Amino acid sequence: MNGGNGKGNGIPKVGVYICHCGLNIASTVRVEEVAEFAKGLLGVVVARTNKYVCSDPGQEMIQKDIQELGLERVVVASCTPLLHEQTFRKTVEKAGLNPFLFHMVNIREDDSWVTVDPDQATAKAKALVAAGVHRVIFHEGLEKRREAINPNVLVIGGGIAGITAALTLADSGKKVTLVEREPTIGGMMAKFDKTFPTLDCAACILTPKMGAAASHPNIRLLTYAEVKDVQGYIGNFRVKILKKSRRVIESKCTGCGECSNVCSVEFASAFDEYLGRRKAIYKSFAQAVPNVYTIEKIGTSPCTYTCPAGINPNGYVALTSQGKFEEAFKLVLESTPLVGSLGRACYAPCEEECTRGELEGTVRIRRLKRFLADQYYATHPEPEYGPPPEEKRQKVAIVGSGPAGLTAAFFLRKKGYRVTLLEKMGKLGGMLRMAIPDYRLPKDVLDRDIRNITALGVEVRTHCEVHSLEELQNEGYDAIFLATGTHASRMMGIEGEDLEGVMGCMEFLTQVNEHRPIDLTGKRVLVIGGGNAALDSARAALRLGAAEVTLQYRRSRAEMPAFPEEIDAAEKEGVRLSFLTLATRFLGEGGRVRAVQSIEMQLGEPDDTGRRRPIPIPGSEFILPVDLAIVAIGLAPVSSPLLSALHLTKERTILVDQETLQTNVPYVFAGGDAVLGPSIIVNAIGHGRRAAHSIDQMLSGEGVSRIPFVLHKKPVISKSEVLARGGYQLATSLPKKELPVEERIGNFREVELPLTPEEAIQDARRCLHCSICSECHLCQTVCQPKAIDYDLNDEELEIEVGTIIVATGFKTFSATRIPQYGYGRFPNVYTSLEVERLINSSGPTQGEVLLRDGRKPERIGIIHCVGSRDVNYNEYCSRVCCMYSLKQAHLLKERTGAEIYNFYIDMRTVGKGYEKFYRRLREEGIHFIRGKVGEVSDWAITPEEEGKLVIRVEDTLVGTMRRIPVDMVVLSVGLEPQKDAEEIRRMLNLSCSAEGFFLERHPKLAPVSTFTDGIFIAGACQNPMDIPEAVAQAGAAASEALALVDRGYVELEPNTAFLREEICSGCRVCIGLCPYNAISYDETKKIARFNEVLCKGCGSCVAACPSAAVDQHLFENRQILKELEGVLRHV
Amino acid sequence: MKFAYYPGCSLKGTSKAYEASMQAVFRRLGIDLLEIPDWNCCGATVYMSVDEAQALLMASRNIALAQRMGLDIVTPCSACYLNLLKVTKEIQENSPLGQRICAALEKSGLGIAAPKLPAVKHPLQVLTDDYGVSKIVTQVTRGLKEFLLVPYYGCLLVRPLNHRDHPFFPTKMDFLLKSIGADVVPDYSLKTKCCGGTLTGTVEEIGLRLNYLLLKEARRKGGNAIATVCPLCQFNLEMYQKKIIQKYREPVSMPIYYFTQLVGLSFGIGEGELGLRRTPKVQERPSAAGR
Repeated sequence: MNGGNGKGNGIPKVGVYICHCGLNIASTVRVEEVAEFAKGLLGVVVARTNKYVCSDPGQEMIQKDIQELGLERVVVASCTPLLHEQTFRKTVEKAGLNPFLFHMVNIREDDSWVTVDPDQATAKAKALVAAGVHRVIFHEGLEKRREAINPNVLVIGGGIAGITAALTLADSGKKVTLVEREPTIGGMMAKFDKTFPTLDCAACILTPKMGAAASHPNIRLLTYAEVKDVQGYIGNFRVKILKKSRRVIESKCTGCGECSNVCSVEFASAFDEYLGRRKAIYKSFAQAVPNVYTIEKIGTSPCTYTCPAGINPNGYVALTSQGKFEEAFKLVLESTPLVGSLGRACYAPCEEECTRGELEGTVRIRRLKRFLADQYYATHPEPEYGPPPEEKRQKVAIVGSGPAGLTAAFFLRKKGYRVTLLEKMGKLGGMLRMAIPDYRLPKDVLDRDIRNITALGVEVRTHCEVHSLEELQNEGYDAIFLATGTHASRMMGIEGEDLEGVMGCMEFLTQVNEHRPIDLTGKRVLVIGGGNAALDSARAALRLGAAEVTLQYRRSRAEMPAFPEEIDAAEKEGVRLSFLTLATRFLGEGGRVRAVQSIEMQLGEPDDTGRRRPIPIPGSEFILPVDLAIVAIGLAPVSSPLLSALHLTKERTILVDQETLQTNVPYVFAGGDAVLGPSIIVNAIGHGRRAAHSIDQMLSGEGVSRIPFVLHKKPVISKSEVLARGGYQLATSLPKKELPVEERIGNFREVELPLTPEEAIQDARRCLHCSICSECHLCQTVCQPKAIDYDLNDEELEIEVGTIIVATGFKTFSATRIPQYGYGRFPNVYTSLEVERLINSSGPTQGEVLLRDGRKPERIGIIHCVGSRDVNYNEYCSRVCCMYSLKQAHLLKERTGAEIYNFYIDMRTVGKGYEKFYRRLREEGIHFIRGKVGEVSDWAITPEEEGKLVIRVEDTLVGTMRRIPVDMVVLSVGLEPQKDAEEIRRMLNLSCSAEGFFLERHPKLAPVSTFTDGIFIAGACQNPMDIPEAVAQAGAAASEALALVDRGYVELEPNTAFLREEICSGCRVCIGLCPYNAISYDETKKIARFNEVLCKGCGSCVAACPSAAVDQHLFENRQILKELEGVLRHV
Repeated sequence: MKFAYYPGCSLKGTSKAYEASMQAVFRRLGIDLLEIPDWNCCGATVYMSVDEAQALLMASRNIALAQRMGLDIVTPCSACYLNLLKVTKEIQENSPLGQRICAALEKSGLGIAAPKLPAVKHPLQVLTDDYGVSKIVTQVTRGLKEFLLVPYYGCLLVRPLNHRDHPFFPTKMDFLLKSIGADVVPDYSLKTKCCGGTLTGTVEEIGLRLNYLLLKEARRKGGNAIATVCPLCQFNLEMYQKKIIQKYREPVSMPIYYFTQLVGLSFGIGEGELGLRRTPKVQERPSAAGR
């Protein structure tokens, strides 16, 4: 790469030119002195000054010297290289000298503009010039690099600027990708009613352009998409785009809107500035482009996420809130057949996670589920369906018909398998029937639930105990699901337990729930234990006529594992709760129990379950006479020869693979309490589903764990995020509805009373729709083209473009920041954007301007400069507010006939036709008051001010304070950069101004280019501006992009790395560091080899090379060191 | 809990009732107040208008004295509160004025150790933030249902330097009064509108008008008593009612309390101890329909 032409004593001839730059440099730096000084530097043969070296005469001066004096190096000391380095390089090139033998020294931005003292400035200039001269001697001639420019263009932002730029480029034959993050293009302009000054309808002039952009063959429109990453450089950008899933197939959707009509989730719409409502499946406005609907779904709601059975409460709650009870019931049925049972007995983990619980209380999901079952079962005594249309040939045996077995049977049968339910007892239901008494779960409800399964044509065998797996295998079953539960009572192992009248809780409850006659009249009953089985036993005993029922628990009330509502109910019904007591032996007479000896306990240190260990208090024994003692201290698995071939845990539950529920015997699966130990119903149901999925996988030949059983695709949404969305008001939660205690005596009537439809709807309406779309499926049922697919995933695309145009627009100033104007405190204070939606005939009020309480405003105040021209907020003028305030004044007067007052500081009506518009308004009788409003408040001094909003303002033209009472206040809010402008600009490596708007390359001469080559900006993301200006900028940006693309190539700085081969030791450190794979290893020479074409000049290899064998053109080590030398010698 | 107590001139003079009621309440709550020995005037609003630097210099002496006591400062008067906060700010920011203040204090043998300056608190803050309303309510023995209170904060407490409450619509006193069982007007828009300060003495016409507006709106919103936090606000609102009625011919009188008097009343402390003996009795609350 050597191109230097040294002559004579080896030191090249250097010419130095110091610029006055008018007074910019010369007023502080004594340029003649610097030139004199330069003459004395090594290598310098000529040193001149000039008023403007960059001018034609200045450039000619240099060229003349090159030719006449044979200069070999040129140094110009003037402004920043960013401005004129290219200029001077061209100058010397035209005179026949290699442009890279020129060096520029900055004595303006780096010296005269920042130094006050002329002596200091001159000294600094001398040092800088010396540095430059020292360095330039070691410059070498280099060749410029050219790279091809990818002709494709990316436009970010689909507002009027983005659309215009895209259309211009597409019309010229270039391929454009237009990315917009909202579901529709159109940007802010789509929200407006009319545009100033012509009062053209915004939609009328915008929608044709939107349509053109969508249908142009050269434009690829990506809506509901965001740019995530940009790599590369001018001419060669690699962009990653995230196309969010609409969950609607765009090619099939016709935009008919039937889905939106039935959607069960509704909330305030951001497009309508929260004045109107929209559904979870929506189109922002009628003329949206593309004309497709979008389902908004954010994460999974906490209730759905936490349900072990994968039921989706947010779906059926949403349907219930709309009164669609039958659809809601059917939705539950998709996840479980045991709707009625769960509605009574589920412990409802969903309610614990419900976000509404952070407000006035959780949505009563379980009671809603019960309501739905009751409603449906009342009108549908039998299921509406029968066996599945196609039956598979494989047989599955399910041992145990509790919730796990029943659920597995349901799902497997629906898939078509031949299913047999084998149950040891006389009826199906397992613990649901055996353990839970009628007053909690009436058996006719359970029976109806079971018919949901048997209606599918499942073979049922009751009174059938299975003794071995071989039995079932011999019958030809291809798979077995063991759901045998844990229905043996654990006994205490104390003296007297074998006496008559002492029994386990399951023995007692089974008798009760099989409705066998038990008469406890006058008897004294003791129940030992603190779980639900104990409570159930106690409350059942009371109903059977017991004179006295005592419940003994060895710890305190706080540690009781039973549901708190059960404990409270038992107490209310008259069960005597005896805490911190433990039975030590049963005392009998004639083989029958007569009394129980117990001891009092105290709580000691926590044991390994975290609960405090109960310790007997010595000497505190007492005797309690009893006729019946029920031991309810826990449940255990029943031992059975059936389990002999299986691996068990040390608690004697069945050991299974957690994912698939497969046991050590490949065709045998297990689930429910038999695997988990005594647990809750929903866990068993979840296992039933999971086992059905695994068995189906195995029998269909796919292999058991090929597709995992995944209940939720998206991560759970955080509650704080949901609450931060706002839009809710505190309500009252449902009161408990229970049978009064007197009515419960002696019978097993259901204690909890049902909800009325009004109560159900009212409670369901409290749901916050955490994840927005509730997956209720209603939209799917009405979509004719079948365009809705909940499983559509987000897509990641990568495209390559040569240039990028950024047109990301603006957001409005947040009026809550100015408390004196009352926005948010007084309901009738609006922002201009809200008024724009009100006036818009397709807005939330169809163009009627009404106050929040429905009255028509008679006096309206429009306050200019809200948040603009204000040192406390934004100092700049937002340019468009005066005009839009006038426009709104005119439209409001037209619509309402009200008296309108505009409060302004200055009237800025600079554009074409704008002044005329202002005059027209004044002639229309709008009142103009020149003064910045101090306060909007409701305190009244005179009777006319009562009930009004009073605007206090200094009327500067009259010279007095005024109070103007109005009905409605409109705040003309200013324009600000988008909320995430900072992230966008980091991604694109753009600069921004102090206010956050993207920075243009030059405020006067380059308003749409940026300091990042190849990236252009257009529209309000650069500065507040109106539509004609945004369109003009868009055209300008498009033409700049076209200029680059049509030239076809870009010239890059030849600042590539190169190798000094003789020094290279072949260590290969550089090779791994190169992000562009520009370095490889030469096996023969045993050194690195550099590919100049691929090198981008990042400098990593230069810094890393341990031998300093790698160096970089334009920034060689010796050049830099010589520069330092130059400064230090002369400082 | 212990604090260095900086009364300021008003609390020993026209606002003796504020001091009495505050001390009674704090005593009941077990909060100790040790008056700063040899404290001096803070400059209030008067001297601050004449020579701000000198005023702050004067005020700083009290901070130095409190620092020697090793305690944070409680000061009930809003003007004193603001001035002491301003001094603290200047010293902490090491501004030219702050440096002058430190040098002057050093010179008079009262050098101040800059980073760990005593915090300056208002008793309202101490009650709601430091002591805690949940503990205060345990001392409440009597309801205050005869009042519909208008919460008036004045301006100095919340602007420009108090960041513990909203500068235009603060709510700490509302919260405290509601917790002790009083009803508070929820939408009094003039919570922090100026009472005129010393203007009632210097340009009476303006002072009268400002207080007239406050009283009139209080009445319009249905209130029958105003709760204040600042001695000058209380003085202005109470002492000029007769002149205001004469000038504007509207019945705008009502008793003006210090919030500490109301808290004391709820605790069952006697009127004598709370300086309430000469306060006029409150009028009957207007019915809801009348509002």
